[in-house]
Amino acid sequence: MIKKSTFLLAALCSVVSIAQTYNVDLPNVSAVAVTNPVGLPQHSASVTVVRGPYLQSGTPTSVVVKWRTDIPTQSVVHYGKTLKSLSKKASNSALTTEHEVALSGLFPDTKYYFNVGNKSEVLSKSDSGEMYIITPPTAGTKQFVRAWILGDAGTANNNQREVRDAYYDYVEDAPQNKGKTDMMLFLGDNAYGSGTDEQYQNALFDIYDDMLKKSVAWSCLGNHDGKSADSATQSGPYYDIFTFPTNAQAGGTASGTEAYYSFDYANIHFIILDSHHTSRAVGGAMYNWTKADIQNTKQDWIVTLFHHPIYTKGSHDSDTEDRLIEMRQNFMPMMEANGVDLILNGHSHSYERSFFLNGHYGFAHTFNPDEISEGGHTVGENGHGDGKVDSNGAYQKTSAAAEGAVYITTGSAGKISGGDLNHQAMSVSLNQLGSCVMEVEDDGRGGQNLTVKFIRENDDIEDYFTINKSGIALKADSTASGLISGGLIYDANKGEVKLKVDKNDRLKKVNIYNNIGELVKKSRKESINVGKLPKGLYIIEVITKNKGYTESITIE
Amino acid sequence: MIFNKKGYLHFMFKRTLLILLFLLLSMPMLAHGDLTIRIAEKTIEISEDPNNFELYYQRGLLYQQHMEFDYALEDYLKSQFLGNTNKALHYQIAEVHFLTAAYTEALQSIEWYLELDSKDLSAKKLQAQILFQLQSHKKSLEGYRYVIHNMKDIRPEDVLEYCNIILAENNKNYKGALEAVEYGLDQLGPHTISLQLKKLDYLKDSGQTEKVLEQYNYFILEYNRNEFWYYKKAKYLTEINRPHEAFISLKLASVAIEQLNAKFKNMSPVIELKEQIKSLESSINNQKS
Ligand SMILES: [Fe+2]
Repeated sequence: MIKKSTFLLAALCSVVSIAQTYNVDLPNVSAVAVTNPVGLPQHSASVTVVRGPYLQSGTPTSVVVKWRTDIPTQSVVHYGKTLKSLSKKASNSALTTEHEVALSGLFPDTKYYFNVGNKSEVLSKSDSGEMYIITPPTAGTKQFVRAWILGDAGTANNNQREVRDAYYDYVEDAPQNKGKTDMMLFLGDNAYGSGTDEQYQNALFDIYDDMLKKSVAWSCLGNHDGKSADSATQSGPYYDIFTFPTNAQAGGTASGTEAYYSFDYANIHFIILDSHHTSRAVGGAMYNWTKADIQNTKQDWIVTLFHHPIYTKGSHDSDTEDRLIEMRQNFMPMMEANGVDLILNGHSHSYERSFFLNGHYGFAHTFNPDEISEGGHTVGENGHGDGKVDSNGAYQKTSAAAEGAVYITTGSAGKISGGDLNHQAMSVSLNQLGSCVMEVEDDGRGGQNLTVKFIRENDDIEDYFTINKSGIALKADSTASGLISGGLIYDANKGEVKLKVDKNDRLKKVNIYNNIGELVKKSRKESINVGKLPKGLYIIEVITKNKGYTESITIE
Repeated sequence: MIFNKKGYLHFMFKRTLLILLFLLLSMPMLAHGDLTIRIAEKTIEISEDPNNFELYYQRGLLYQQHMEFDYALEDYLKSQFLGNTNKALHYQIAEVHFLTAAYTEALQSIEWYLELDSKDLSAKKLQAQILFQLQSHKKSLEGYRYVIHNMKDIRPEDVLEYCNIILAENNKNYKGALEAVEYGLDQLGPHTISLQLKKLDYLKDSGQTEKVLEQYNYFILEYNRNEFWYYKKAKYLTEINRPHEAFISLKLASVAIEQLNAKFKNMSPVIELKEQIKSLESSINNQKS
């Protein structure tokens, strides 16, 4: 009943506004941003950059720079490690207004300044050095990472700008890595009402112009983007604007589609799903890809994003809406079992943040916080706490327990739409404007903290929590060299395997199999030269008069 | 106070709308928040301009998004009745019929659409999907083949659907299905996982033992983590009665697990995998002895 009345109220309000003024909240149809070439006389600026430049598909060694000009021209990117000497060049001589240039051969974790233009002139640059690419470190590296998370931002109004400015204020004064935003993560509905090219101009490019020039933007598809984009053909503005890795160029597993894909950044694996257009069925192409992808990562953290929320009682209801229920029931058991740490959703225009959860796939009212045993709904002693380091303590994820994830529905970067906001699995539910920042950093004890903060439009940090993971530095040792077991010694320097055979036993034969199980060497001797075998994992099968056993060695 | 007639009318108008909206919202269709409100808004627009076919069409689209297909169809037909002759309307009518399994009607509508635009690939695809449901496998295949080879940005899902139609048309045509998979890999990238997985299935189903093993090796070599693939390969090797090779593959699986970080070792799929390895190992040993 409460729910119904809320809807009624919301509906009535919207009708009253229509009836009174017929004035819908239209986005500011501002003129497209014009970047004038600094230092060039106006009359020579016949070509103007009207969109971007913006950065896409960043990898440790490459990035895609995109921009739009008002008239067709060539595409040239100058870049270099110092602002004064942009000595490298990547270009495309075809005349176009939609420019897309891939820079490759970059060094990981390196800052490159750049400008864009055509063959005869530079059309967009920053003299103060505010246009740059910082490549990610090699996958697996432990370092500070900051991601800015924006859900349902695309209203193109002052709400959106205030939320943006609050984050800009935050990052300028951030306690560490001041001014550095490693990536923007858009949770869909990036441009209302239907993600058209013009709406994207108003709600994405005009608003985040500064950030898009120095931080790679990633996104999942929202239902409003989905109105003009067609995932079935990967066409429409959403797919034209964004360039995502379909072939695991940025790490992960090849999906063959921009609708869902993954990438690595430092020691974090990101999985981006399409909860709107693509089949959410178990055994469907997206499900199979997700499972293969998540079971193929060795990264320390796994973060997933998709538009439709797993848990919400905001302007949408995860107990009644099919996409939300399907994502929860079909995808979450598999993703939780394989160690997902953080789930980022939008769609409801509110901020709802869960406890430290595992195994809650039912309706809101079936949530039982007291069940903390394995497979229960909250994980760990303080899993039902607030997750704040200075209060109930950070959520703990030890290497012994793979379970535990925080779910955030954060779709209020452009507007708020209320709702009951009483989902039982949520630690915090707020009808407030804001965006989130995720920061991963060392905890000083060999582990890492993943902290997310919700930054309101008025600069207040209204919620925060931390997931602590211990033992991240500890890698399992591979069987490189030395005594493997009682029966075998591998001397890597000599490239030699020595078998120890009991006095009253007799060696009959030794078979060596490579990493795909092919027999690559046979021997009857107790000392075997393996120095010429290629690098990799080998199984050594030893058969004596009395017994048979296997050992493994890794040749490096 | 002077009685303001215009103000009064405005007030009455507003009141009527509110009552109307109240009635609407009393209906049990309150699932999709935003969408419900927009349908209600559209209903009000229709009440102001009841002969506007565009408005019915728009509300039909909203109903369709809201998965209220009967209402959607009603609106589309009303829009058509009021004079809407746009091809898009035919498409939507076809789609709603398709979604409600009214395939004969769906076919009729999509054919009207294709009379207006015979080259539209989305419509061709829908037509092929409808024909498939109507068991016209040959025609469906013909249509889908055209779509697959002409669509600019195919998705893995399209290739999989195409393969499915190929095998429905002739359940022995694994050669054709595998060729379609290869075409997809060529278009979408050689490592597209959903297609590589399907290739494995088809090789198995068509009994191409050596190629199946090659395909397992592809996964083992291509993957960062290969413990699952070693096990699956071992399982297949036992099925085709090659227990010793299966035994070696299980050893490789166990070593791969040993080399994982503790975090992964403690994940339930890996714990489960260890159990599966153990039980397959013991069944191989029993076979041997
Ligand atoms: Fe949405």
